[in-house]
Amino acid sequence: MSTEAEVLRPVTGEYQSLPLSTSPLQVFVALIWDTIQEARARWLFWGLFGLSTLLILFFLFILKIDVVQGAVSFMGLPVDAGRRIFNIEKFVRTAYTFVALFLYVWGTFLAIFASAGLIPSVLEPGRIGLLLSKPISRPMLLLGRYAGTLLVVAVNNIYLITAIYLIIGWKTDVWYHSFLYAIPLATFNFAVILTVVVLIGVLSESAALSLMVAVALMFISALLAQRQFVVNLLTSEWSRDLWQTLYWIVPKTWELGTVMRQLILKEDPPYWIAPVLTSATFALITFLVAISRFQRRDY
Amino acid sequence: MTSDYAIETDGLQKIYRARLTGRTFTAVAGLTLRVPVGSKFGLLGANGAGKTTFVKMLLAAVRPTAGRAALFGRDAQEHESRRPVGYLPENHRFPTYFTGAGMLDFYGALSGMSAVDRKRRIGELLELVGLEKWGDVRIKKYSKGMLQRLGLAQAMMHKPKLLVLDEPTDGVDPAGRRHIRDILNGLTGTGVTIFLNSHLLSEVETFCDYVAILRQGNLALEGKMTNLLTKQGVVITARDVNEQAQRVITSMASTHRVVEDALEFTVSSALEANRAIDQLRAAGALIHSVIPTNSSLEDIFIEITGATRSAIAPVENDTAAAATTEVRQ
Repeated sequence: MSTEAEVLRPVTGEYQSLPLSTSPLQVFVALIWDTIQEARARWLFWGLFGLSTLLILFFLFILKIDVVQGAVSFMGLPVDAGRRIFNIEKFVRTAYTFVALFLYVWGTFLAIFASAGLIPSVLEPGRIGLLLSKPISRPMLLLGRYAGTLLVVAVNNIYLITAIYLIIGWKTDVWYHSFLYAIPLATFNFAVILTVVVLIGVLSESAALSLMVAVALMFISALLAQRQFVVNLLTSEWSRDLWQTLYWIVPKTWELGTVMRQLILKEDPPYWIAPVLTSATFALITFLVAISRFQRRDY
Repeated sequence: MTSDYAIETDGLQKIYRARLTGRTFTAVAGLTLRVPVGSKFGLLGANGAGKTTFVKMLLAAVRPTAGRAALFGRDAQEHESRRPVGYLPENHRFPTYFTGAGMLDFYGALSGMSAVDRKRRIGELLELVGLEKWGDVRIKKYSKGMLQRLGLAQAMMHKPKLLVLDEPTDGVDPAGRRHIRDILNGLTGTGVTIFLNSHLLSEVETFCDYVAILRQGNLALEGKMTNLLTKQGVVITARDVNEQAQRVITSMASTHRVVEDALEFTVSSALEANRAIDQLRAAGALIHSVIPTNSSLEDIFIEITGATRSAIAPVENDTAAAATTEVRQ
């Protein structure tokens, strides 16, 4: 063994080390920026915003042909001078709700499709090894990727929903600010589903599987939400318990949509605490499991 | 925290276990190694000897089954221990959406460099690796050799105190290899430790001042290059050597083996050779040949790993060609 001190070389020359920051914020920002760059390069960014733009143009076109007035007549609503504004408002509020729910579902599905590959791609051999050699923790690496993906989708949600809000408001002159609740709710729902994409991505390194599981989870969530109806149909106690248990475990995509409808319609006080809290808990646990698995894996 | 060693491992071990069958495979078996600060250290081994797993354990990409690794005295599992380390992985896959400059900027930021330092350093390094005109070009348009040079620039970006290079000249043409070697030689005497993981023996022989050879996950040999290569000796082959003489001879010899009916052995000096010849004559043995030798790293490698020369010759010829070109120039 040549491990004795005598074999040490003297440190000479003018190779001076650079001052290096230990700020996690810099690393976090760099990871987010990297994710955005990858989304742009993979055309996911442009695809997401392009489809949103198409939808906005479609709405613009629909309203340009004065569908509002036509729809009012079609629905048989009175249009006399005294009650016209009220009825138009009611119609527009309903329209806002439908549009918001459509955007909620559309936006979430689109976002899942767009983002499913962004987590596994960073785990590719030859890429992850270099990232792990940097002075960053594994949770930070995953968190930066997660935040970058979420940011892309959040910006798209802001763009799409605000544009639709402006178009409807401009056309009808009825401004329902509560429509904008669709932005945080749709983004929150995606943030929850994205943790599943992250977990499956870490476990399987497969974009396709991440996509399948995330979409399946949304459908299962919608199915489980019909518990009042289904539980009455179930004959055994254990199956009813199982349904109820699953209902509380799985994120509440359906209920979050209901919360959004209630907020826009201002009909009922929205029942938001349980759906938001259980979904957030699900997301937190899923993300922690993903981090735990990520920390144990060899690359 | 300071240490005399850039890399220090104690009983570092990695055992892979198949989930379904439960079968185990020992990639690295309790490796204890010390790499002095400022040295140029070469890690050699046949394919599957455990070189890359060892490097990955140093950089926390692979979790050791047992033992510990430290970088400059700090536990390699702590992410801060990797701040003074630059790494060029084998079979790297740099994201193709980056431009050359963009890639350096990203990895520089992850290393903790300020924006000002990154901007200045990117210019310096692109020039150093001969890619100054390619900084704004997406790296999907780069050749393999250009990617290797860019990868080296990436590893050097934050002026690390330890460079870990896994097959840095893999896929690079002879001129590119020379370029990379020149860049690394430029770091000589600066105190930077270079840890070179390579299967190219002459690359390690010409560049490194320390070498370790792995065999089936074990450390088969470690030493200062000059000590190993100046290991002169005399190979003697004799027939009809009786048992008593054979016992005496083998106790004197550094290596010995029986080839057909002849005893072939190596002694370390001419004096030893004369003593051995006296013993053989006294025992009535027939001396077949006496050949003075000078060990090359290839000899040592073959002796240690049991590899055949034909298995390593193709890459060696390529490197030898590069070396010849360099000498002529």
